[in-house]
Amino acid sequence: MDARNIAFMFYGLLTAWLIVAFYVVSLARRSARLKKELDDVKQLMSANTAAATEKQPARR
Amino acid sequence: MREKIVYGLVAAAAIILAINFYRIMLVLPDDAMQGPIYRIIYFHVPAAITAFTGFFVALVLSAWYLSSGKMTADSLAASVTEVSLVFAVLNLVTGSIWAHVIWGVWWTWDARLTSMLVCVLIYAGYLMLRQAIDEPTRRARLSAALSIFGFADVVIVWKSIEWFRTNHPQPVLSVRTGGGHMDPRMEAALYINLLALVLFAAALTIVRARQEAAAREIDSLRRYANAY
Amino acid sequence: MPFSKTSRKTVEAPSAAPNVIGSSSPPRLVASTSFAPVKQALAVARKDLSVELRTKESLNSAGAFAIVILLLFSFAFDPDAEMAQELAGGLLWLVFAFAGALVFNRGFARELPNECLDALLASSVSSASLVLGKALASVGILLIIELLSLFVFGIFYNKQWWTHPAELAAVFVLASWGICIVGAVFGALTVNLRLRELMLPVIIYPLLLPLLMAAIELTNRLLANQKLGESDWLWGRVLLVFDVVFTALAMLLAEPILVN
Repeated sequence: MDARNIAFMFYGLLTAWLIVAFYVVSLARRSARLKKELDDVKQLMSANTAAATEKQPARR
Repeated sequence: MREKIVYGLVAAAAIILAINFYRIMLVLPDDAMQGPIYRIIYFHVPAAITAFTGFFVALVLSAWYLSSGKMTADSLAASVTEVSLVFAVLNLVTGSIWAHVIWGVWWTWDARLTSMLVCVLIYAGYLMLRQAIDEPTRRARLSAALSIFGFADVVIVWKSIEWFRTNHPQPVLSVRTGGGHMDPRMEAALYINLLALVLFAAALTIVRARQEAAAREIDSLRRYANAY
Repeated sequence: MPFSKTSRKTVEAPSAAPNVIGSSSPPRLVASTSFAPVKQALAVARKDLSVELRTKESLNSAGAFAIVILLLFSFAFDPDAEMAQELAGGLLWLVFAFAGALVFNRGFARELPNECLDALLASSVSSASLVLGKALASVGILLIIELLSLFVFGIFYNKQWWTHPAELAAVFVLASWGICIVGAVFGALTVNLRLRELMLPVIIYPLLLPLLMAAIELTNRLLANQKLGESDWLWGRVLLVFDVVFTALAMLLAEPILVN
């Protein structure tokens, strides 16, 4: 009985930290994805503006 | 600057948790009735308090958004809700494991369990709603309204089943009872853990809010790019 | 209304709005007395109900749905058993909540074709009155479905449900109003969403939980032929508090929900 009690205490503490760790990892992955997306968009923007300044009347 | 705040908060939380964890596991004795499993309380109760505090903060931020229209309020509200939801789930799962040993069941329809579950369902709906709307100001308005409704509902659920058959132990913290239900050393350890969890939740919220801001920036850049 | 940024009272009703609304007496909508909001709500409800009585869209679909579910349950569980006694309240209110979702999904979505919703919002009807009117109309439809279901329930499950008519009516009206005001608000909130039919139930059922719990508890007592006692009054109070709080919130938040 006592062994089960201790085992479940560890399960409880372990799952608590697993949930937090899972969330932190998902947060980090989302951060990385957003950073990449932001860089992509900025690159796209600078490419666009460069193209627009080259042939100015082409602006719609 | 913000980075430093986040690192500072996480470091403080980690140090407090590490020292306190040592105390909880090796210094404080087992509970006389329940044995070692009672140690779940040091995470179970602080997680619940953190979650409810977060949902309340989200309510205030939502009302602030509706009255001011500031997008910062909206992204903070969304972040705080998401982080609180994680702590609410943590509370439910640890509680369930504890209940399995002490009550012999994983789940029972008790007042506290039910209201926490309703809380999780409502705020999960909040996050789903946010995903279903693309336009930022509309998303902000509608999710703020849901947040206000949700909090009112949680209060009603709480009040309505207070007199209902309750398995869950009555409050033991001395703020609710006036003292005498829990060893002061144990109670102190619980409060210290609460402090650590709140600091940690604040750090997560800041990170999440920055993501929201980045997503908004991407969105506006895209719109700008499409306009040409 | 602390949240409103623009006063809607100054907006004149565009001449197109009454046509869109299709009611027989358009000037009713442009009321200007101190009871204007209530009058506007009643006008919206009247218009919705008359549309409903003509097309019977929600009545047919939700009514048929309710009866089919009752029938299925009577096959799934043996209705003569003791169990029927205990299941009655829960069964009935789940059926009503599901049928209600069908009604609310139509409530605001009905105004989408031909930009009727925009016209309604541009008219002098305030958002709060619009939501209130929609809730009044759905409560009418839902009560009809509930009455129908009770008859079917009495036959299939061999039960006398009319022994405490006044109390039963009070419980049904209070609980239905709670369901309908939440349904109307969130019908408005989800009206322009993709996955509208999915989002509405996902959001409203957790919110309705305290209300449904109280209604189930009280209905069980009444169907078991018991007089309502002191402890039941607590459940009655839950119904009342829920109705008052959520009606007030609905009025307060109708504007930010509906108006861009």
